[in-house]
Amino acid sequence: MITAAQLVLDGVALGAAYALVALGFVLVLNAVGAVNFAQGDLVMAGGYGAAVLAGFLPLPGIVLLPVVMLLMAILGLAVAALAYFPLLRRPPSAVFISTIAIGLLLQNGALHLFGPGLRSAPPLWSGGQVTLGALALSRQSVAIIAVAAVLVLGQRLVFRHTRLGRQLRATAADREMAAALGIRVYGMIALTFAIGAALAGAAGTLLANQFFLTPTEGGNLILKAYIAVVIGGWGSIEGAVLGALLIALFETVVAAALSYTAASALLYGATLAILFLRPQGLLGEAAGRRA
Amino acid sequence: MTAAFLDTGHRPRRGAAAAWVIAAALLALYAIAFASRYELRVLTFAGTQVLLVLGYQFVFGHAGALSLAQGAFYGIGAYVTAILGASYGWSFPLTFPLAIAAPTALAALVAAPVLRLSSHYFALATLGLAQVVLLAAVNGGELTGGALGISGVPSIAVLGWTLPRGLPLATLVWVVVALGAWLSHRLTRGLSGGAYGVLRGDAMAADAIGLDRPRLRFAAFLLSAGYAGAAGALSAHTIGVVSSEALEFPVMVTCLAMTVIGGSTRIAGAFLGALLLVHLPEWLRFLQGYALLAYGAALLAAIILAPEGIAGLLARTASRPRPPARPAPLPLPSRRVAGWGDSVLEARGLTKRFGGILALAAVDVTLAPGELLGIIGPNGSGKTTLANLLTGFAVADAGTIRLAGRPLEDADAAAIARAGLVRSFQTPALPPDLCALEAVAVARASRLACVGIGAALAGRDAGERRAQIEAEALGLLSQLGAQGVAPRRCAELSPAEARLVEIARALALEPRLLILDEPAAGLGDGERRDLAALLTALAHDGLALMVIEHDMEFLLPIADRVLALDQGRVIAHGAPAEIRRHPAVIAAYFGRAEGDAP
Repeated sequence: MITAAQLVLDGVALGAAYALVALGFVLVLNAVGAVNFAQGDLVMAGGYGAAVLAGFLPLPGIVLLPVVMLLMAILGLAVAALAYFPLLRRPPSAVFISTIAIGLLLQNGALHLFGPGLRSAPPLWSGGQVTLGALALSRQSVAIIAVAAVLVLGQRLVFRHTRLGRQLRATAADREMAAALGIRVYGMIALTFAIGAALAGAAGTLLANQFFLTPTEGGNLILKAYIAVVIGGWGSIEGAVLGALLIALFETVVAAALSYTAASALLYGATLAILFLRPQGLLGEAAGRRA
Repeated sequence: MTAAFLDTGHRPRRGAAAAWVIAAALLALYAIAFASRYELRVLTFAGTQVLLVLGYQFVFGHAGALSLAQGAFYGIGAYVTAILGASYGWSFPLTFPLAIAAPTALAALVAAPVLRLSSHYFALATLGLAQVVLLAAVNGGELTGGALGISGVPSIAVLGWTLPRGLPLATLVWVVVALGAWLSHRLTRGLSGGAYGVLRGDAMAADAIGLDRPRLRFAAFLLSAGYAGAAGALSAHTIGVVSSEALEFPVMVTCLAMTVIGGSTRIAGAFLGALLLVHLPEWLRFLQGYALLAYGAALLAAIILAPEGIAGLLARTASRPRPPARPAPLPLPSRRVAGWGDSVLEARGLTKRFGGILALAAVDVTLAPGELLGIIGPNGSGKTTLANLLTGFAVADAGTIRLAGRPLEDADAAAIARAGLVRSFQTPALPPDLCALEAVAVARASRLACVGIGAALAGRDAGERRAQIEAEALGLLSQLGAQGVAPRRCAELSPAEARLVEIARALALEPRLLILDEPAAGLGDGERRDLAALLTALAHDGLALMVIEHDMEFLLPIADRVLALDQGRVIAHGAPAEIRRHPAVIAAYFGRAEGDAP
């Protein structure tokens, strides 16, 4: 019973980090109608950013987090400038390919800067455990869940209840209409890339303490985000978060019962089965088929 | 006439042929006289990558589907070769065909569910497939050698005679490459290549001319897997070791980079992309170890600056805009269809809802051979919905459709077009990158069953046959007074020009019933008169026509009957003269602005 609760908590913590990855992915997807395949590599870059920063500034992760997010937002703008804006008049698959190229650059850039070894970022708070009755909870897991919840809810708040959020949503829903209403759509798209990258940076910081990082980690993460968005309904923000939690729980439980390999294989198998049985995704599509 | 056309038009230009011969000679000279043993190995490996890219061009370049499984198919070819060759001691004549067959079989197995996915799901599904294959290889125990893989892949041996590595192996690999290039050329040079252009350019355009999209995509997917298997097998023989690296993502992205950088639909692009990227780290020493970084930068630069790749750039600079191919126009063979009875179309109770809105409410339409039915109604009255339901571009919620007695409700748009119910679109749907003549010619070829792998292998889509088909296509364009636009890219046509090309394309399919959605919009007075005369003549020949039009001055004189729609309902139906005076029609068109009842 206690181990089961422990397992679920670990799963939710992993899911919270995945949710941030998927959230950044789906925001950009909605804004530009194209897959940002570099999202996983941006998470990896954020993790390395946190690890490097911690080398200069021996501060707890929670202090470094905003700095990493800010730096990543700038990187996000660079990604938009390199991989999206030059391809405005081209089909969405061109952006898919250009972001694959960006991912390749980030991944191999990290490989040459940091080598293939494992890295870890500082914990958000100090390490150790909190005890809650008979449960011993890792502080880091609790912190990850808390930070991810704040960011997910914050994103929701901004998008639902602020003028800027309404402009961002209008741009994602119908770019031409938004432009006609006087919204600076390209500015909004650039901002979306920045937010997506900042969320990737947060996810990287959170993941890089618990699970370590390698330069090639991004490939796995983008696949998880992609699957989360398919499960949650293509283009649905809430669905992406939910999908990420489901994937992480599935992985954690199956990995504990069988092995990590079995968990991955079953996850990919299940995804293929879902696509075969429901070509429109598990919960239908929120976004039009633009990508 | 045909010979004259061939000389100006599509035969490979002498310059291009000479370039191929010179390039091949230089490559052979380099391999024989200059290359070191190591450089020969690099060149041999480059050959395997050319093959990989030639295959990827089918699915990614021609079919326009972003498959991320090409690396997996390549790895499977390599593993089959290693397992059968190293572990079981089978020889090349057995392992090579099996290395091609295994990935092809896997592609065939997953094709049915995977190929119907839209692009972003297709990319994910193929990526997931590649991950499953990778996991299987890493965890395959003794069979796959786990993470370490399998070493000691034997040299290529046939009937006890072993092909030495070095120049003989390089020669064999490049002979296979040449065969692969020849096959690819054969399959894509003619109108079948044009059919793939329609397929990736505009799905609606492909449906409208009755192209069997699933089948074309299936063929491309299987070909890409087969080529990848051959490439993997040969690379296993070249390197001698196969590990899970052959299945990892870098193989896939390198293949993608080579294809995009070289050019995704031109055969020269496969050669340029693969040779360049394999040799880049050899030429530029400082790139050693940074190859993937350089590939990423080159891929980004290519997708932004040269979307058609290096081969596209070369083709553009080498051939200044050529004089258009001018086959002498040919009329279509006589189109009178016998045995049609007196009903071409009988549609009953057609109903369509969008959300809560009733777009069409129990509409009946019938048409006899030689009859021209006009459809009128204000914007949003359901005219285009009616055309969509009849032609399979939307599915009716209720109602029956019979074309010459044959039920059509369950047929898809392409099958309906093949059955003889053909349409044009209100917003023209033409493949942007094809020239107008090609767009019509591919439709004609589709009608004559001259596109597809079988037709290309049999040579039914090239040479004399193609010249004949293009001559007929030009004949159709001339009939509409649009022969002048024949050499222009469809993307550059004005809406009025595109509309005429669409009508020519529809006629190329020899329809039994032709539905035109606002054919006269944007035309000048002269063109309008010519179009009216043509439609009357077509009806006189026995073609049934349904013409949706706002312009009463155009429509009423040529229509036999007119059906007026408003808010999804038939409000009037009868001879043009009655319709002109019909109070409900007058109210629907003019009355509502004042807001009073008729």
